[in-house]
Amino acid sequence: MEYNWLLILIPGLPLLGAALIAAGAQGRWNRSFLAALGCTAVFLAFVATVLVRLQYNAAAPFGSVHMPLWSWGVDGVGLGLLGDSISTWFALVVTGVGFLIHLYSAAYMADDPSYPRFFAKLNFFIFAMSVLVLADGFVGMLIGWANVGVASYLLIGFWHARPAAAAAAKKAYWVNTVGEIGLILGAIVMLQHFGSLYFADVLPQAWFAPQNVLNAVALLLLAGAVAKSAQLPLHVWLPDAMQGPTPVSALIHAATMVTAGVYLVVRAYPIFEAAPWGLPAVALVGIGSVLFGALAALGQNDIKRVLAFSTMSQVGYMMLGAGVGAYSAALFHFATHAFFKALLFLGAGVVIHRFGGEQDIRKMGGLGKSHPFAYWTFLIGTLALVGLPPLAGFYSKDAIVVGALMAGRPWLWALAVVGAGLTAFYMMRLFALVFTGDSPEVAAFQRGEGARKAAAAAEAGVGRSRPVPPLKMVPLVVLTLLSIVGGFFAMPDLSGVPGAAEGARLAAPPAHEAAVAGRVLTKSSAATLTIALLLAVSVIGGGLALQRFGPKRAPQTAESGFVKAAGAGFYFDDFYRAVFVRPLRATAGFVGDVTEPHVIDGAVNGVARLAATLSGAVRRVQSGYVRRYALALMAGVAVVLIYFVLMV
Amino acid sequence: MPGFAIEGYVIVSVVLFALGIAGVLVRRSPLVMLMAIELMWGAAALLFLAFARQFALMDGHVFSFLILVVGAAEAAIGLGLIVLLFRAREAVDVDEVRELRG
Repeated sequence: MEYNWLLILIPGLPLLGAALIAAGAQGRWNRSFLAALGCTAVFLAFVATVLVRLQYNAAAPFGSVHMPLWSWGVDGVGLGLLGDSISTWFALVVTGVGFLIHLYSAAYMADDPSYPRFFAKLNFFIFAMSVLVLADGFVGMLIGWANVGVASYLLIGFWHARPAAAAAAKKAYWVNTVGEIGLILGAIVMLQHFGSLYFADVLPQAWFAPQNVLNAVALLLLAGAVAKSAQLPLHVWLPDAMQGPTPVSALIHAATMVTAGVYLVVRAYPIFEAAPWGLPAVALVGIGSVLFGALAALGQNDIKRVLAFSTMSQVGYMMLGAGVGAYSAALFHFATHAFFKALLFLGAGVVIHRFGGEQDIRKMGGLGKSHPFAYWTFLIGTLALVGLPPLAGFYSKDAIVVGALMAGRPWLWALAVVGAGLTAFYMMRLFALVFTGDSPEVAAFQRGEGARKAAAAAEAGVGRSRPVPPLKMVPLVVLTLLSIVGGFFAMPDLSGVPGAAEGARLAAPPAHEAAVAGRVLTKSSAATLTIALLLAVSVIGGGLALQRFGPKRAPQTAESGFVKAAGAGFYFDDFYRAVFVRPLRATAGFVGDVTEPHVIDGAVNGVARLAATLSGAVRRVQSGYVRRYALALMAGVAVVLIYFVLMV
Repeated sequence: MPGFAIEGYVIVSVVLFALGIAGVLVRRSPLVMLMAIELMWGAAALLFLAFARQFALMDGHVFSFLILVVGAAEAAIGLGLIVLLFRAREAVDVDEVRELRG
């Protein structure tokens, strides 16, 4: 059955949806209809993805689903869609989780005046991300990459009247552009050297290229990945991106867009493997981001910023997995992370809603008693992230950490374990501060202040659990279930679940299966040791956090210097501002205030003034005196006569 | 005709032409300037006829007729303009009619 045209539907339907919704917004169609249109488009794209995956499974391991779309006439430069194991894996998560978030947004954004615009932009994002992961070459991937950046800009700055949101959107776009430059340069080098930009042409040839070319390409591509995936040192845009609506944070900055860098590294793994600096650089970036993200999350007090740094850290794990050659583990972690991180963000939306827009976790508390549904979903998400068995995160994180050990990198393994401990600490801190203890109203009442305020608040229903609307509940429930059972989809034979060995193959890149199989989690003692260590550090970290921030917590003391530094992102923002932003602004100011009016305008105006001056001089010839004109005429005649007389 | 001396005719023509130029440049009444221009036409016609006589060609005679006709037309128009000018202002001094300038 030739279903190649299905591939077009995956990006095409959301694109069509975006266009229709945008048109409908102009024409003031019914808002609920437009939201339903957006959700349906993504749902159908998901169905198409499933069908493509099934077709791929039937054709594997030799075939893949391919649909060439457009050629620019230059050899090797063209656009097409490819459905193989990696791309369909990503596409399933993108469209699946994307659909769930569309459903959630239909309820969450219902009060927003620009409701239809949100769905148009969200659909556009799904289109762009699908193009990115389904492309059959670097051209298509770059197109998707750039459009995803635009979508991110549009969605972070959705509430564009807010200056903070507009600034955050611009910052995200600029930092991403830095990486994109690297990506484009890498593509140019590849085109120059391999003569083509299709994966099928470039990747098999990677082993035969000279080392310096490979190193250059690998580092340039990595630059793009680092920017898009908010890894060290180009991570600064991600915490600010939390200015966008919470569903946007869930979809783009947790589940899908930030993983585009991981997709790039895994897709181009032959280049990274063949380049001597390739995989080590990836692993270094990964472990650096794991630790930095975890440490910075310790000092954050905004619930979304904690989750943002947590995303940076977890994507670091994915990069680490790719950097040690455990590609299937990295992709596995990508999927499970999408589930529980989206769950956490959507849950954070419920929390923020309940506290009336407050996002500072120091001012929260006691949600566990009044909102059991939020309590349990957030708890499961947290535990999945921390990596408690049998939840999803345990298997995927384990696979990566064991992979590091079995690839012969004990230092990376140890640091990854440390990172897991830190993860447990900051996540339990978050959970405890938000859900345990007394609600802020009760705490204020106990402190003796505002008895009347507390009574009024109770009257107004603040803090009282409202029934969760089904559109919000269903995605949360589905994501919770996926966070619980997601681990079994790609579970290696440790669990004895039938088909587990098959699962390890689910995400493996085709040509690499034999090597990967050797690195998949086995019953060796190394694996057992790792599991034990990870569990130990998680329990210790979580326990410490619960003790410090749990129900019987002492009132907040002054923050230590380290925590303050962590809260400020270890001053990366300030550094970039001083080194890049201020000089650039000064230069722009100089150009705008000095060069533009004086030099350029001066030159243009000067030419005009010269013309005016000259013409002012020349116009005196037209004096109006007829006799003077006659004299000029006669003088000319005399000159001509003299000339002729002399010539003859 | 025996002893036709063309030099005389040329000299007379040149002198008349110069007088005409002088008249245009020096006089300030438009009417007199017009007359000086007509004088220049006449000088040119004289030259044409002299050379026509010299080389026994009819071209010079034809051209002098042309000059007469064109001179008549020009005089008509010029005089019409001068009449209009006289109607607009009393004393006409060509130096005072200088609105058309830069």
